[in-house]
Amino acid sequence: MKRSMVIFLSLIVGSAWAAAAGPTDPQIAAIVVTANQVDIDAGKLAKSKSKSKQVQDFAQLMITDHTGVNKAASDLVTKLKVTPEPNDTSKSLQKGGDDNLANLKTLDGAALDKAYVDHEVAYHEAVISAMDKTLIPSAQNAELKALLVKVRPAFDAHLAHAKALQASLAK
Amino acid sequence: MPNKASLLGRTAVRTLGLLCLCALLSAAAKVPAKTVTIEAMKFEPQSLTVHVGEQVSWVNKDPFPHTVNAPDSLDSKEIAPGAVWVYRARKAGDIKYHCTLHPTMTGELTIR
Repeated sequence: MKRSMVIFLSLIVGSAWAAAAGPTDPQIAAIVVTANQVDIDAGKLAKSKSKSKQVQDFAQLMITDHTGVNKAASDLVTKLKVTPEPNDTSKSLQKGGDDNLANLKTLDGAALDKAYVDHEVAYHEAVISAMDKTLIPSAQNAELKALLVKVRPAFDAHLAHAKALQASLAK
Repeated sequence: MPNKASLLGRTAVRTLGLLCLCALLSAAAKVPAKTVTIEAMKFEPQSLTVHVGEQVSWVNKDPFPHTVNAPDSLDSKEIAPGAVWVYRARKAGDIKYHCTLHPTMTGELTIR
């Protein structure tokens, strides 16, 4: 797993949050919005550079679905009058996302496709683990918790799709 | 030459017939379509049975689009978040369908 994933997971799972009260709802909101945006940005880059229809279609799905989740999250925090609060985890996510983009920009062809999809597998595994271990259990507002629970299956489906694509690219 | 009484009688019968027809049509229009809710990456109910001629509505309650697709029978195109796709069951049979965007999502429509 990439270093940025390890950092993200350790911040979420092994940090003081795991032992204590966990992130607050404004912090969770910032983490969710950042996590979605990171995947949207990676999807846009991959879709624009990849020559593989399978990879382009997957990237478009990431753009569409994560944009939808972000809209739902943004609508909810607006309704709840919650202001997303940047925190170490959301910043680490953003850094990891920026590093991934910088790496993808140096690649083309099969190397680009592999790097993008490999990262998507690791990324979705990390996000699902963070949702299960910290974000969902820590969410205080019932609607925020319900939204996280509702969208979690989408991340599962994305992971399954990314793994199938990863296997296909390895052939 | 028909007299006034028989004219009135025929008018009354026709009016009554029209009222009965309106009542029947109104009752038929109020029968709700069967509904499949698309939420949290699932079709609920996953299996649905309807009769030929009945309507089925798929309601997308997820924050991203889905489709309802089965070769040669169901093709909803993209159903946007909050949108509804309505299908009238045409002929008897079992239709296994899926979401083309999220292939792990499957459902079954049985038409009797």
